[in-house]
Amino acid sequence: MIRRVFKVLFVIILTALLLKGCLVKDVPNINNKPSEKQTTDSDWTYTIPKNITINGVDYLQSQAPVGNFGGELINSTIGEGPKTFNPFNCKDNTSQIMSSIMYDGLLTTDPINGKPIPKLAKSYSISPDGKTYTIKLRKGIKWTDGKTITADDVFFTWNDIIFAGFGDTSVRDSLVIDDKLPTVRKIDNYTVEFTTDKPYAPFIRLLSTPIAPKHVFMPAVKKGKEYFDSFLSTNTKPQDFVTSGAFRLKEYVPAQRVVFERNPNYYEINKDNQKLPYLDRLIYLIVGDLNNEVLKFEAKELDVISLQGSKVARYKSLEPHSDFKLYNLGPTTSTMYLSMNLNNRKGKDGKYYVNPIKQKWFQDLNFRNAVDYAVDRKNMVFNIANGIASPLFTPESLNSIYLNKNIKPYDKDLEKSKELLKKSGFYTKKGALYDKDGNRVEFDLYTNAGNTEREAIGVMVKQDLEDLGMKVNFKPIEFNSLVNKLVSTFDWDMVIMGLTGSPLEPNGGKNVWLSDGRLHMFNMRNPQEGKAKILPWEKELDECFTKGALATKFEDRKKYYDRYQEIVYREKPFVYIYSPVVIIAIRNKFKNIYPSSLGGITHNIEEIYIERDK
Amino acid sequence: MEILKYIAKRIIQTIPLLIIVSLISFFIIRLSPVDPLAELKLNPSISPETVEKERQRLGLDKPVIIQYGKWAFSFIKGDLGVTSTGERVSQKLKERIPNTLLLTSIVILLTWLVGVPLGIIAAVKWKTPTDRIMTVLTSIGMAIPSFFFAVLLLLFAVKTGWFPIGGLTSPNFADLSFLGKFADITHHLILPVIVLFTISLAGLQRQMRANMLDVLDSDYVKFARAKGLPESVVIYKHALRNAVNPMITLLGFEFAGLLSGAALTEYVFQYPGLGRLILEAVLKSDINLVMASLMMGAVMLILGNLIADILLIITDPRIRVKS
Amino acid sequence: MIKDIFKQLWNDKFARIALIVLGVIYLALFLADFIAPYTKDFSDRTMAYVPPSKVFTIDENGKLSKPYTYNYIREFDPANLEIKYSLDRSKKHYIKFFSQGQPYKFLGLIPMKRHLFTTDKDGRIFLLGTDINGRDVFSRLLFGGRISMTIGFLALFVLFPIGLLYGGISGYFGGKVDSIMMRFAEAVMSIPSFYLLIILASILPSGMTSTQRFMLIVIILALIGWAGFARVVRGMILSVKNQEYIQAAQSIGASKMRIITKHLLPQTTSFVIVAMTLSVPSYILSESGLSFLGLGIQQPDASWGNMLKEAQEFTNILYRPWLLTPGFLIFVSVLAFNLIGDTIRDILDPKSKVR
Repeated sequence: MIRRVFKVLFVIILTALLLKGCLVKDVPNINNKPSEKQTTDSDWTYTIPKNITINGVDYLQSQAPVGNFGGELINSTIGEGPKTFNPFNCKDNTSQIMSSIMYDGLLTTDPINGKPIPKLAKSYSISPDGKTYTIKLRKGIKWTDGKTITADDVFFTWNDIIFAGFGDTSVRDSLVIDDKLPTVRKIDNYTVEFTTDKPYAPFIRLLSTPIAPKHVFMPAVKKGKEYFDSFLSTNTKPQDFVTSGAFRLKEYVPAQRVVFERNPNYYEINKDNQKLPYLDRLIYLIVGDLNNEVLKFEAKELDVISLQGSKVARYKSLEPHSDFKLYNLGPTTSTMYLSMNLNNRKGKDGKYYVNPIKQKWFQDLNFRNAVDYAVDRKNMVFNIANGIASPLFTPESLNSIYLNKNIKPYDKDLEKSKELLKKSGFYTKKGALYDKDGNRVEFDLYTNAGNTEREAIGVMVKQDLEDLGMKVNFKPIEFNSLVNKLVSTFDWDMVIMGLTGSPLEPNGGKNVWLSDGRLHMFNMRNPQEGKAKILPWEKELDECFTKGALATKFEDRKKYYDRYQEIVYREKPFVYIYSPVVIIAIRNKFKNIYPSSLGGITHNIEEIYIERDK
Repeated sequence: MEILKYIAKRIIQTIPLLIIVSLISFFIIRLSPVDPLAELKLNPSISPETVEKERQRLGLDKPVIIQYGKWAFSFIKGDLGVTSTGERVSQKLKERIPNTLLLTSIVILLTWLVGVPLGIIAAVKWKTPTDRIMTVLTSIGMAIPSFFFAVLLLLFAVKTGWFPIGGLTSPNFADLSFLGKFADITHHLILPVIVLFTISLAGLQRQMRANMLDVLDSDYVKFARAKGLPESVVIYKHALRNAVNPMITLLGFEFAGLLSGAALTEYVFQYPGLGRLILEAVLKSDINLVMASLMMGAVMLILGNLIADILLIITDPRIRVKS
Repeated sequence: MIKDIFKQLWNDKFARIALIVLGVIYLALFLADFIAPYTKDFSDRTMAYVPPSKVFTIDENGKLSKPYTYNYIREFDPANLEIKYSLDRSKKHYIKFFSQGQPYKFLGLIPMKRHLFTTDKDGRIFLLGTDINGRDVFSRLLFGGRISMTIGFLALFVLFPIGLLYGGISGYFGGKVDSIMMRFAEAVMSIPSFYLLIILASILPSGMTSTQRFMLIVIILALIGWAGFARVVRGMILSVKNQEYIQAAQSIGASKMRIITKHLLPQTTSFVIVAMTLSVPSYILSESGLSFLGLGIQQPDASWGNMLKEAQEFTNILYRPWLLTPGFLIFVSVLAFNLIGDTIRDILDPKSKVR
């Protein structure tokens, strides 16, 4: 009996609660005051270090305020960590970052204006004909083991390692002009001279390639190329490295972190003539994905983080009452684009890579333009990047010094798209689009699965194009399989991909734009095909890139690279979507922070110090 | 002597097994359209010559049969080859094995310490509310997707600041004293252990419960009860000893699991273990690494079974007679 | 027998709750087209990451009213680099029950337009908010559930016949056949299953439609499980094959296939039922794990696993907790299956060693 009563009571209470839950009062909230906080950008005037000679040693003197010594900075690297510490065998980004910390090159890049400036070199000059580069080295500066850095090391590095084809030969391969390599000559103990066969402007950037200590690398080179590839691997003992950078390797814990400590022999000093760097240790945590990185920053295990999309809002709102500061570095060097397969050739088996019916669409400029005008960049920036990105219309990243400023952005314009399609004889029936031969316009859209950002873009592109009556089969596939399709089997219709460029040197993109380039994805040719069936504008692009590389003056080069951007803008081999903006958060305790769009935030790592508690 | 002969026979029997495993794995992996050099190919600063060099180094330009032959030949010689990024496979495995062993052995130890008693209690109290509630509670642990649970726990760690966010050691690990090191590792291990423990507890508890029920139902237990022995003596002296025997077989399986790692949990916690390594290798189709770890998994399983069987022979005279 | 099991299940408190929960879930999934206010692919891109709609029943004057909702407007706040959502109070959108909405085909066959609830044409009702593409999470949960909650069953229907037959043949024939067949099964078993799963998933050809992909994932899941199952079946067959009635069947000249399927395999029924109920949840979890890695069901299709992928992101968990609902549903349904499985086992075969 009592149980029964309980049951009834229970039901009554439950229904009452449910009813209560259904009655929701509509109370208009008083308008929140708009935030009055203004973002004030601190004066980011950074002066690059100057040369100074003390007791016959050519130091580099930091022009930044003098700071305190000690402490550590914890940064992070995404992925599996470095594969090697051999600076000449780095094929992945992380290994490259690590080796650039450990080994300095002759030159480096001014983080503000992008000009080459001396690093290990004391000064450099280029002959008027643009073929000879004379490099003067600093006197009296030392490797971590106390041996002096001389012209022998430079000559050995370039002649016996790079030109001889040891390790990753990409630098060497990019220097071959008409089957000839540049030559290097030792003039005296502190002077080296490089000569290229023809004027070749990109060469100056390559002089930032690390310089190796001859006495350590010589035995490895003697043992041959195979040995060299496994030389200075991740298993090498930290104390066996002889390096020149501001920090030297202290410890590598696989899949966890890389720890660097200050190099007491470093050649940069502060205004009080004390040896830099300020920090005792520089630590890179190896984190698997962006998500873990954010969690680690949140838990104060990291000091620096680069933020994108929705994460920015959180940290922006936390910023006023927390221990870090955000810096907006502007658009990144990475670009996101949509591409159509323009390939109109047959494979070895006699079959077309792309179905001939589809070929006709993709080869049609009106079709490509129609797709372009249908893409809703504004909402993609809004939804996917949370407003933290800028729409993109050119292959050069928005912070590139070669950016063509005349390229005009535009918004989505479905009417224009429809008009363009009509011009080429496409027609719609019951909302479905047909080409002039009566074929239903239907194709596959690929991207790499697992990348939330690209998948979301794909979903939106699919909808945008279906508004035009096209049928789009959106298929996210595994990254490695996708790349295989793009560069080996060529059996794809449309793809969403991203590439990273260099803001300083458009010539890095030649693999993409040269008609026989290895990443000429939109119209990829087999090595055997050479330049088969080259399109007129592809020929123009080839010209822009070959001539652009051979011109020496910035203004002359800019003309070629402006032209290439116009061609891409006009012909739409790639429909660019957006370029995310980088926002970096760093703890307040770090001083001497001069972020720049080109150099990032730790370009002057040796000058960064930790403020003492007051 | 008998046992030695038996072991030798068993080891010989495993050879065809290993061959089949390697063949299946190798051909499945090679069937996949995944290109191990994809990242390299998509990096604009890598020249075509380098890509070609890598292709030849990995033998990707040869037919699958020859690739397999090459792999098998060097495997027999004890050479596991190099990863697609040029590191030695054996070295990579060596780096990760201790970490994974640490994590899995703690988890196995804990689940046994908790799961076995829980299973016994559940069996003894069969068909009572205690039994039911225990089964439901362990089921709850089994029902949460491991990665989701791990993500939630990480969030908890961030919010409270009580636990580190993944990894195994702190950046200042090398400077710590021995006790400090021990505390640091323990601190890092707590969350992943919680996840794996909750997930594997239910299985073991049920297994033990079933074994115990089996034994409690047997004639000799009935006989012991009929003799009027106190229930505690019946259960803990007579039943338990026999219920543990089948668990030895299970221990063999657990042994195999020691090195296969818990990929998703390790992935979310960024734990530097084998599971994450293999997961990443599989996704990249890094064949030498995947093959080495799969073969290791198979060998561990066979070994585990063998050890279990030998233990059984030692503990249970009836089996000795049969074999 | 089935009726009997069901009765006993119903008598168990936990199992009863689990049965009701699963019943509600499956009914909702069956009627998904009708219950969901939107179709699977419907998206309003101006409404990405919108929080759940607020439904009001008392209006601003304090009077009782028909339930209504407001749309959200979003603005980008450039000072805080943040997207802000606020209610657009200029227009009320009343919620209509059993009224016309987006057209759909019920169960893919009968064209219909009625939905359980909708709102007017320019109003939006998102009970559980939206995802990155402005799709209704509530609707997608229903459609995604169709995939997640059936994939396990389908895999079982592929796996069990294979396992039964394989184990049956191997056990019955014995000798060389048995040892060869078992070596092969053991080889498959000794490849760690999770890795085998990802390897197989990563070789799926890319040019597949979503249905093909779904079917292949089912087959892959089945390929992982059959060997272990076949081994147990073989063991059971071995123990019964020398019984008298089998010898009798042999002596009257029944064919071998007939003996295996008609006389031997039925002996394993209770084991099969227990194994089936207890393995459904593990397939649901496998699918979610696979989709979490991006190898399972792909966008724009929904499954609970791939919807949960979005919830992996830290800011999403903090600011958009409605994205966690698929995880909750996976948890609830797996738990329900486990409870039912446990109870069935206790009824049929309390000593079963199935984990």
